[in-house]
Amino acid sequence: MNKKMKGPAAYAAGENKRPLLVSLRYYRGFYLMFLPVLIFALVFHYIPMLGIRYAFYSYKGIKEPVFIGLAHFEKMLNMPGFWSAFGNTITLSIVKLLLNTIMAVVLSLMLNELRSVTFKKIAQTIVYLPHFMSWVVTASVFALILSPTSAGLLNAVLSKFGIVNEGIYFLGSQSWWRPMFYVINVWKDTGWGTIIFIATLSGINPELYEAASMDGAGRFNRLRFITMPALNNTIITVLILNLAKVMNLFESVFVLQNDAVSRQADVLQTYIYTQTFNSGALPDYGYSTAVGLVSSLVGCFLVLVCNKASYKVRGRGIV
Amino acid sequence: MRVKKMLAAGMAVTMAASVALSGCSSSAKSGAEATSAGSNTESSSSAGESKAESEVKKPEKITIMVNGTVMTKQNNRDAFEKRWEELTGIDLEITQPDHDAYFDVLGQTFASGPENWPDAIILAGSFYTGYAEEGALWDMTQAWENSELKSSGRFTGEDVVDNMKIDGKLYGFPVTRGNGCVTYVKKKWLDNCGLSVPTTYDEYLNMLKAFTEGDPDGNGINGDTYGLSAAGFIGSEEPWTNYLPEFYQDAYPSFAKGEDGVWYDGFTKDNFKDALQRMRDAYAAGYIDKETLTNGTKDCRNKFYEDKFGVFTYWAGTWGSNLKNNLESNGHDSELIPIKPIKEVGNYVERTSPVWAITSSCENPEGVFKYLIESMLDGGDMEMLWSYGVEDVHWSKKAETVLDKTYNEGQFHLRESLEIPGTQYTKQHLDPMLAIATWEGDPGKDSVKEEAKNSQTVFNENCRQATITPSTEEMATYNGDLMTLKKSIIADVVVQGTSIEEAFKRFESDGGSKWSQMIVDSMNKKESAK
Repeated sequence: MNKKMKGPAAYAAGENKRPLLVSLRYYRGFYLMFLPVLIFALVFHYIPMLGIRYAFYSYKGIKEPVFIGLAHFEKMLNMPGFWSAFGNTITLSIVKLLLNTIMAVVLSLMLNELRSVTFKKIAQTIVYLPHFMSWVVTASVFALILSPTSAGLLNAVLSKFGIVNEGIYFLGSQSWWRPMFYVINVWKDTGWGTIIFIATLSGINPELYEAASMDGAGRFNRLRFITMPALNNTIITVLILNLAKVMNLFESVFVLQNDAVSRQADVLQTYIYTQTFNSGALPDYGYSTAVGLVSSLVGCFLVLVCNKASYKVRGRGIV
Repeated sequence: MRVKKMLAAGMAVTMAASVALSGCSSSAKSGAEATSAGSNTESSSSAGESKAESEVKKPEKITIMVNGTVMTKQNNRDAFEKRWEELTGIDLEITQPDHDAYFDVLGQTFASGPENWPDAIILAGSFYTGYAEEGALWDMTQAWENSELKSSGRFTGEDVVDNMKIDGKLYGFPVTRGNGCVTYVKKKWLDNCGLSVPTTYDEYLNMLKAFTEGDPDGNGINGDTYGLSAAGFIGSEEPWTNYLPEFYQDAYPSFAKGEDGVWYDGFTKDNFKDALQRMRDAYAAGYIDKETLTNGTKDCRNKFYEDKFGVFTYWAGTWGSNLKNNLESNGHDSELIPIKPIKEVGNYVERTSPVWAITSSCENPEGVFKYLIESMLDGGDMEMLWSYGVEDVHWSKKAETVLDKTYNEGQFHLRESLEIPGTQYTKQHLDPMLAIATWEGDPGKDSVKEEAKNSQTVFNENCRQATITPSTEEMATYNGDLMTLKKSIIADVVVQGTSIEEAFKRFESDGGSKWSQMIVDSMNKKESAK
């Protein structure tokens, strides 16, 4: 005679009609531990989301909000500033993300090749440091380095070698601003980005390398056939996770942009800032919320597309 | 599959909760709104009845929200509060967010409902007109008209108060003038170049040329200095032309009211194109700092202290003294001449004053006006407190040495700053140099440094007040984009060398002309509806 199974085991066997409650009771210890996180997420992430409704209202923070339907979205779609900011957000974020990831992988591989542990640690510490500088400080430092006057280090070097006669205004030039933005971002974030790749590299079984060497594989082939396949999953995971943040680009642009490059630099978050604080009138928080909502939806869409692509390519996603 | 069902159910519950909570929040707000409207009506009617000062009931408690211009915690605000309460017998509750976050916190406080609004707040610029037009501020016109201060014969700032009226009504009281920027020139540089103080644009330009191409600092090297620097080619707030008045002259990049009472957008006028041309030429010639576009005000000040340039349009008054001190401490000649506006400029522009406003949810606005705002200019203990602080905390008459200066018994002097040790206080919330009421007994008038007094006098005698710009729906909707476009066009022309015609074609094609016209129309419509 079969003994009647209980709990999740019974659910697995298809005998239990109330799996959720049983499961909750069975794993109550885990759920109890999860509770603070759940409460935190609800209070600080989900309840504030109720503010999304203001995207459909005209609301200046004093009088009662007035429902205006999709008027903010209609205005948004008709404003060249919004489209320019939207395009810049996508371009700057994606290029920055790709450059940072590629540079982080390259740097990780280089650090991984270092044989002296002391030197490796020193090198790692040095490349991590820029990450801890605030963007305001970073912008000030680079404003000095890139100054068009004789005080600018880069222009002084270029001038010394006769490459330029007159200093280039890198941060005030429409053609130079974006390359400089990418360089500064790479300088600041590449080191930090290597942590996860170095962790993955250190987890690769050394025997694989030994075996490959015995089979006659050189350094390049070991990299191609052992290291890179091992890193692929991490690279895709990092890319997808960072894609969720591409629409949040703000601080780095805000501190580096200026009036001359607004068409190249203005992103959605700085656009929201301008709309809120630069209108010469009380801002309509409804419009800023509408722009923010579109930005979040696009970010969400990008993650889902990337996850889907991951399914297609690798047979599994990460979300 | 089951997980997906659970997820769907969870999302449905979340959405339902969201709608329900929105409803709750909405109805709660409606209640608050009703309260606000009620108190607003009550306040208006009481203002309309024009209570005599003697009938004004003394409040038991006053709540205020202020920015960093009022004494901060680090400067012993507790002592200030205690003294204020001693003088009035009223409980004072001060909320003081970080200076930079003030308007954010104020906005959040207003959004949280009238029951949380303080009795009085400090407002400036567009926030003043915006809050007034949203009905958040009490109309203090009658209270002011019936005030003892107005009839005291001491009040000299009638024009400043009138300038703050919106449709003839006063919603905020300016306790000082707004102040503005005056052009400082290094005297030694002028002397070294054999020049006198410029009085016309040609002379001004000639001076910049000499400062850029010659050897004004006398270090034996020609061309290692430049004429002037500024934090941007256009200011970050009204009046936008503050830092480069000699180039803008009569042109204005934003909305202004003509003598005929009609609003227009100065950016679209021909004289603005002339101003752009002047700036472009001077920038291309190297007279203007190459980094003007990316400069902050601190960058400019530092370069001025390092003797890199010789002409600096900056705040009148106390800053006149600060600039001199910093030049001195950097070992440079520190004599500065605050010049009168050149002929083409006519007058410097004085920004609109920050104001003290009473919120429409205040239960006893007349009492708050009399005991908090009007009393600040009483020419006695209260004005002393708001101008210099608390005796033996912020100022003293005891014999003592403050930093490197020794004072005798009975000699009024300000003490070392608690917030910035190594510096001496110059004033507190009220700057006596910007006073709008005479104060015979001002003990600090002799302690004001000559250079500060001098620059303030030059400015006060040669300025006109900026007019407050009304807030309209069109302004709120389009002006953010419009200003971004205007700033971008100015930078394009001056720094990138784009032709003026091409730049204005872009203004047209990017919607600037359309937005500008819509805003101008809305302002004139409002004007004609008065």
